[in-house]
Amino acid sequence: MNIPQALLPKSSSNGFARRRGDREGGARLESKVQSGKSNQGRIQATGSLSGGKTGGYESSSRDRLVYMTTCLIGHMVEVHLKNGSIYSGIFHATDAEKDFGIVLKMARLVKDGTLQGNKAVTEFISKAPTKILIIPAKELVQVIAKDVAVTSDGFASELQHEKQQEVLIDSVISQSRHVGLERELEPWVPDEDYPQCPELENIFSGSWNRNWDQFETNQKLFGVKSTFNEELYTTKLERGPQTRELEKEAMRIAREIEGEETRDLHLAEERGLDLHDNFDIDEEMRYSSVYRGRGFDDSGYEEEEDILLDSQNIETFGDSSDSLSRGPVDLTSLQRNEGVRMSSSTSFVDEAPSSKAAIGADLNHTDFNDEAKQLASEIPSESFSVSDSESRIQDNLLGEHGGSKDAKESTEKLSPSEDPQLSNSIDSQSLLIDKLDGSDKAVPSLNSTTHAQSSSLSKVSEKPSASGDLAEGPASSKVTGETPSVNTRGQPGSSKPSNSDCVAVSSASSGPGLSPSSSMGSLSSEKSTLNPHAKEFKLNPNAKSFTPSQTSVRPPSPVSDGSFYYQTPVSPVPHMHMPVNFGIGPSFPGHQPVVFNPQVAPMQSPQAYFHPTGPQYGQPMLLGQRQVMYYQPDMQYKGRDY
Amino acid sequence: MEGEEFAVGCFLSIKTTLGDEFEGQIISFDRLSNILVLQEGLESGPRRNIRLLKANYIKEFSLLRQDEDPLDVKKCFLDLTSLQAREDSAIRQAEADSERFGVGVTSEAQTLFDALSKTESCVAAF
Repeated sequence: MNIPQALLPKSSSNGFARRRGDREGGARLESKVQSGKSNQGRIQATGSLSGGKTGGYESSSRDRLVYMTTCLIGHMVEVHLKNGSIYSGIFHATDAEKDFGIVLKMARLVKDGTLQGNKAVTEFISKAPTKILIIPAKELVQVIAKDVAVTSDGFASELQHEKQQEVLIDSVISQSRHVGLERELEPWVPDEDYPQCPELENIFSGSWNRNWDQFETNQKLFGVKSTFNEELYTTKLERGPQTRELEKEAMRIAREIEGEETRDLHLAEERGLDLHDNFDIDEEMRYSSVYRGRGFDDSGYEEEEDILLDSQNIETFGDSSDSLSRGPVDLTSLQRNEGVRMSSSTSFVDEAPSSKAAIGADLNHTDFNDEAKQLASEIPSESFSVSDSESRIQDNLLGEHGGSKDAKESTEKLSPSEDPQLSNSIDSQSLLIDKLDGSDKAVPSLNSTTHAQSSSLSKVSEKPSASGDLAEGPASSKVTGETPSVNTRGQPGSSKPSNSDCVAVSSASSGPGLSPSSSMGSLSSEKSTLNPHAKEFKLNPNAKSFTPSQTSVRPPSPVSDGSFYYQTPVSPVPHMHMPVNFGIGPSFPGHQPVVFNPQVAPMQSPQAYFHPTGPQYGQPMLLGQRQVMYYQPDMQYKGRDY
Repeated sequence: MEGEEFAVGCFLSIKTTLGDEFEGQIISFDRLSNILVLQEGLESGPRRNIRLLKANYIKEFSLLRQDEDPLDVKKCFLDLTSLQAREDSAIRQAEADSERFGVGVTSEAQTLFDALSKTESCVAAF
């Protein structure tokens, strides 16, 4: 206890401002104050702890008093004095040992009891707060404190409250702990009598039978004359006597497609299937369109998954193996000649159509077989495949080194010849066929992404095709005679073997070798466009339109730039549209089931490739109109070609 | 006060010599210091209004009713450190506030200043 010398004679001076110092009680506290705050604190502490000092049956009441005063520490209190003055300040200490004099900090005189009458109220002049104010017990009448935390819960909440008041940190503000919670979504219910939207239901249902014509409405309301012609944007529908049947057929197909099983999260959601087996799926995964390389969604499949891809492809494209066969024979033959078929794409590139092919190839392919570089782009059954193959071939050629180098050249040569045929698809197909036939190595197997049949398309999108693709991309145009990467296009998954040899180059494993080069390569080295080992083109159902900038996905192509890029003499590099354009060859009618989403992620290299040659599309569009077509189908088409 | 046995938990209505009137529940009464600890208002939650009254200033009182102990002894424990911290922060706050209180100004002026400072950042000139 430190009040030992507390009882100094009143007259003792002290350094502290004391209001009542002169009064008798004041002295008592002086020493305490002089000894410093700590004393007081201690007093208080001891007071609270050792309440029992007073002893007697009153100890418990004393304890309570001490406890209560302790609770007041740091609290704003009002102290009433005998003379009517009221001080407001922070309760600092009390003399628990004695008669509970009070020490306040930052005390302000709220009401001056010494003033008489009205003066006290109206003309109260404020004074500076007193740092420390000692109030002797004698003067003390009462101490009033509001909202005092008395029990432990009170303290807890008070502390919290204080902390929050003082410093607001971001996490407190943002309440981030709530962020992870999933919201409980509720369906929107329109207001009961909101008259303005009575037809919400009607407008969107039965879209075919809407009896609301937006153009008409617009004209009426705003006088805007519409120049909208549906046929500008889509295939002209033949409306004739068979419209009904066609419609029915279309609906049937649509139903089939929608009812298909899918492993794709987004598709599943649309169709109402629940694919969320593993619960790491959060909102972002479900609804974001950011590709993060997730395995289950749209990743490239390994070779062993070719079959799955195939099935997907079939899903997408139906069984179009036949289409392959239709391949441009010439192309194949040409390819044969040349060995490396640089995927006619190269040639195409020159010509333009090739680019398509390239594109196709790219699109398709994305997997490479183990072969060196594979252009594995699956060739979509449709024409794409051709293009792909072509490009692939080129790619292959370029990228690969394995196969016959000549293939490349051949491809190049091919290109010119091929050119006209643009039916890239056809070309590719032929290429595929070639490959299938096990043509020699010359033909870099087109990446066998199974064309149409396989879902290679999907692969296209992502797989950073390993070497092959990348290399090929640029290569494609370049026709660097690399190797005939044989891209095995997976003819519905069967041609693999044939391609294998050719595919040396195709780098079977390259993943989604989209790169156009791959396609090129494949073409050239075609034996069969189906490279069994090719990483299939994985159709990425989620793929959005082609974004040339998608370079991040693919690892840089190992292929040296030099070799591939500057094939200028050989093939006009610029025509490397192929890699870039997953477009569908000009021959593709609107309904082209080009599924190759230009997601040719593997396009990375091609893009890089393009740099040196200038703006990608700045090139004279040899393809001319094809150019336009490239982007046209927004590769969302996952349907089948009927 | 002699003869007055204050039991804990009683509700009293008190008039002080200074003219205050209030009601409260007894938390404690310390004879030695003659201080009556009262809890005013209804106990609604952990925070209460506390009044420490020197019993010698009670002019008159009357017992309203008898209730149980408003203080749950089991829950009564204090953390001195946090108390100290609270005090420090209150002091800081008060010091900051003290800038806003004019010295030598009438209460009217102070009110004005306070009102204005809500919208404008007023600086008190000393």
